[in-house]
Amino acid sequence: MTQPALLTKNDESADGTAARVVEARKSYGSGDSEVVALDGVSVGFHTGAFTAIMGPSGSGKSTLMHCMAGLDTLTSGQAFVGDTDLATLSDRQRTLLRRDRLGFVFQAFNLVPTLTAEENITLPGDLAGGRLDREWFDTVVSTLKLGDRLDHRPSQLSGGQQQRVAVARALVSRPDVVFGDEPTGALDSRTSTELLRFLRSAVDDLAQTVVMVTHDPVAASYADRVVFLADGAIVDELLDPTRDTVLETMKRLGD
Amino acid sequence: MVKLSLRSLLMHKLRLFLTVAAVTVGVAFVSGTFVLSDTMSKAFDELYEGLTRGTDVAVRAEAAYSDITTQGQLRPLDESLVDVVRDVPGVEVAQGSLTGFALILDKDGEPIQPGGAPTLGASTSADERLAGAFTYRDGRAPSGANEVALDAASAAKAGYTVGDEVDIVFEEGKQTFSVVGVVGFGETDSLAGATMAAFDTATAQQLLGKTGKVDEIAVKAAEGVGAEELRDDIAAALPEGVEALTGREVAEEGSAAVREGLGLFTNILLVFAGVSLLVGSFVIWNTFNVLVAQRRREVALLRAVGATRPQVLGGIVIEALVIGLVSAAVGLLSGIGLAVGIRELLAAIGIEVPTTSAAVEPRTMVAALLVGVVVTVVAAVAPAWGATRVAPVEALREATPVSGGIGPVRRTVGLVLLLAGLVGLVACAVVENQPLLTGVSTLVGFAGLVTSGPLLARGMARLADRGRRGGGWRMAARNIARAPRRSAATALALTIGLTVVCAVAVTAASTKTSLADIVADGNRSDLILKPASTGAGGMSPGAAEVLRDLDELDAVVEARYSGAQVDGSSSFVVGMPREGLAEVADLGIASGSLDDFGRGSMLLGVKQAQAFGLEPGDGITVTFPETGDVELTVAATFERDAIVGSAYLLSLDDFAANVTSRLDSAILLSYAEGVAPAQVKQSVEAAVADYPNVKVSDPDELTKDAQAQVDQMLGIVTALLLLAVVVAILGIVNTLVLSVVERTRELGLMRAVGATRKQVRTVVRRESVLMSLLGALTGIALGTAAGIALSRSLADQGVTSLEVPVATLAVYLVVAAVVGVLAAIGPARRASRVDVLRAITVE
Repeated sequence: MTQPALLTKNDESADGTAARVVEARKSYGSGDSEVVALDGVSVGFHTGAFTAIMGPSGSGKSTLMHCMAGLDTLTSGQAFVGDTDLATLSDRQRTLLRRDRLGFVFQAFNLVPTLTAEENITLPGDLAGGRLDREWFDTVVSTLKLGDRLDHRPSQLSGGQQQRVAVARALVSRPDVVFGDEPTGALDSRTSTELLRFLRSAVDDLAQTVVMVTHDPVAASYADRVVFLADGAIVDELLDPTRDTVLETMKRLGD
Repeated sequence: MVKLSLRSLLMHKLRLFLTVAAVTVGVAFVSGTFVLSDTMSKAFDELYEGLTRGTDVAVRAEAAYSDITTQGQLRPLDESLVDVVRDVPGVEVAQGSLTGFALILDKDGEPIQPGGAPTLGASTSADERLAGAFTYRDGRAPSGANEVALDAASAAKAGYTVGDEVDIVFEEGKQTFSVVGVVGFGETDSLAGATMAAFDTATAQQLLGKTGKVDEIAVKAAEGVGAEELRDDIAAALPEGVEALTGREVAEEGSAAVREGLGLFTNILLVFAGVSLLVGSFVIWNTFNVLVAQRRREVALLRAVGATRPQVLGGIVIEALVIGLVSAAVGLLSGIGLAVGIRELLAAIGIEVPTTSAAVEPRTMVAALLVGVVVTVVAAVAPAWGATRVAPVEALREATPVSGGIGPVRRTVGLVLLLAGLVGLVACAVVENQPLLTGVSTLVGFAGLVTSGPLLARGMARLADRGRRGGGWRMAARNIARAPRRSAATALALTIGLTVVCAVAVTAASTKTSLADIVADGNRSDLILKPASTGAGGMSPGAAEVLRDLDELDAVVEARYSGAQVDGSSSFVVGMPREGLAEVADLGIASGSLDDFGRGSMLLGVKQAQAFGLEPGDGITVTFPETGDVELTVAATFERDAIVGSAYLLSLDDFAANVTSRLDSAILLSYAEGVAPAQVKQSVEAAVADYPNVKVSDPDELTKDAQAQVDQMLGIVTALLLLAVVVAILGIVNTLVLSVVERTRELGLMRAVGATRKQVRTVVRRESVLMSLLGALTGIALGTAAGIALSRSLADQGVTSLEVPVATLAVYLVVAAVVGVLAAIGPARRASRVDVLRAITVE
């Protein structure tokens, strides 16, 4: 049931990992009613790679992502973005870290409804008051085929377009890591495929690092590597997954 | 449905509190107004009832006419009439009584002067059966030329007890008396705040300048004789011009006069109450709107599972009813407290209001409940109606409620109304003297603001939608534009209060400038003597007499005022001596000559002369309340009526012949040539030292005093309107909290992608500031226009100049912005503490 050797190797050194956790533990409540969401997880995510985190509901995959992204804090253990230990940061510093070094794509409600697509894409940069890298912006926008949608409000965009805008927002600041929390969860299979191709090309063509939580084997198959969680612990992983190997692993773990 | 409604109410305690507060303030104002005026009426009723107790019939001179301006002025009767009355069969006791001017001085020689209430000298009742509620708390009845009894309130105020010496100033001058008694009136210490020095009848006649006269004859009927019957018997024995009334009739007449006086006061307070209520209903309307919008999904779900439209509508109306009832009840209770507060406020500026236990009439309770419940339900019905039109399918949709803009019809109607209101105000300003039209135009303009409000909110948002991308102003502006109706309704609550405040401020500033201009324009006097208290009464004529003996003075001109009818319409006339008139005032004679002015003639204001179609040489009828019609000739017409305070200037001789009171309201002095001004002022002050209620001012000081009074009124009005502004602030808080709750996910998202707490707070705060500024700008604009029109409407009341207090208005604008910042503190904190994880996790 366990194959820890490969994982441990990653954890030993920070070289080549954009984000990692060491002995991450997260629990809610205390005493008898204590619920453990993460139970001593150690894992690293390679720079320039597309990693998927899978697991059944309640396995802790979302909690792991939230803690790595500075949206939540660990009960014990450490979470790093690059060399930065998130536990040493204040709430404000974590906010700035999210803004400047991370990108996010959520399942739904990704965009601020009062802002146009372009304003949504540049929101983190605008909040930072920094100057926009126009060339990179154009690259991202053309990669995501959003050129003719920039003046639209979210309510004027389809679900797939909204998610593409979210991806563009996540990429435009050239973050260390882009975190996706079931980014295709609310999309039909065609737009879902389209979005995954964009994420793939963000890694391949734009040299970005993507970590994506998903429960969809098809989505996971676009990744370079899949990490499987169950009951708050890492139970398996796959390199160069296909839909079939993912399904197979899930089935094996489910037994 | 009832259960569901109540549960949903209790689930949102903050919202409930804010909504209740909004209605409560309005209701409190209405009920407070009623309680205060009812309490005052009751106090006067008790007083009159007490005073006339035991008196079955009262005999007094008939008034030529009587209204609020005449203050019950009556000609004294000849003392011999007392015997005539006493001889009428059925009379057990008949006794004459007098009242007049007597100013009690405290131990430092300063006058004991109640604000507004008279300072009375009176005769005591020799016969106990006619004493009514008049009782000796201490000591005994005065007897002889050196004894006095004081009312308990004055005695307490100055620390006088039986045996003390007291100085009292009369029309003729100052005298010293020995206090032999302290008088109470039933349970109260004074006659509605008036001071009273009581003497025996003969002393009173001499001191009050009514030797051989009495003002009224009180009669007690013999056993078994009815009051009405006796009244008729006595009336038959009386000469022409003297009337007999029953005690009850006198009491009722007194109460009615008080009620009439209070009516005006009540109406003014009710205007403020109306403003508060209007503001409150805006807040409620807004709250229910948001509440319904937020619950679209809930409502749709209810509809989907089979709730009928009336059930949904009923549910919301029940919520409104509960809120209305609770608010009305709380408001009624606070109103009773508020009545006390207003009375204190008035007392603080010297208007003492008589009091008794708070009178809470059934009418007050009904009004409070009606106002609270009706306003709340009406304000809730429109949104509720909207709620029932929610299609059940909405339950399945993502629901960030969007309140739309406005259609072309509403836009057109709104702009037309706004324009009509403003054109009306401009017209009023040009035409002058159109107070009613000014009010109507202001209301029309406000209706225009209400109708086109969302448009204005969008415009405001467009103006603010600039600056750095992602900056607070941009985000705030977008949020304002997202729900323009709600933003507009929130801002308009502030608009109402500010419109009135600014209109009053402009009028006050214009009045102040006018006061200065009047003095600068027509005044030629060097010193002006006025009573130290602005209340009733005046200065003893002795003061002017003393001054005539001073060589340093060139002219001494006194002025007295009385209510009188000129050509049949009620007004005030002024009496001044011909001698020295030209030295103290430049009246601006338009036609005729001042030389023709004297006994039997009068000076007439130009405008009034035009209105009556009179020219110098024509006859005119002046009706005095005491003496009736007097025929006079117009000697000249004059421009500057404001300087003498009336457009009807009579000679002092004619005035004195028809008005019993000889108190001067003002004395104008001009220096003789070549004297040193400072020195003259000193000798004038020394000369009138025996008249401690005389205040010597130069024209500048007088202007400043008058302006200070205007400021004081402005202060009171602003204080009363403060409540309306507080409600409007609650409305802003309400709207912000609700919109923050609505936007939880959006705020969480912003926090997730890197907005700091501070940035989130900034956005909410700037939304608040934008709404406040929208309210302030519209309020200041409309209020200034209304204020200009109102100032021009009061041109005939002496507001001859126009002044827009730009600095004050700028302060209001800044205060509004600050208010916006303050109102946002809570909501902004709430927004910044949004749980990011919960917000971005799909439930």
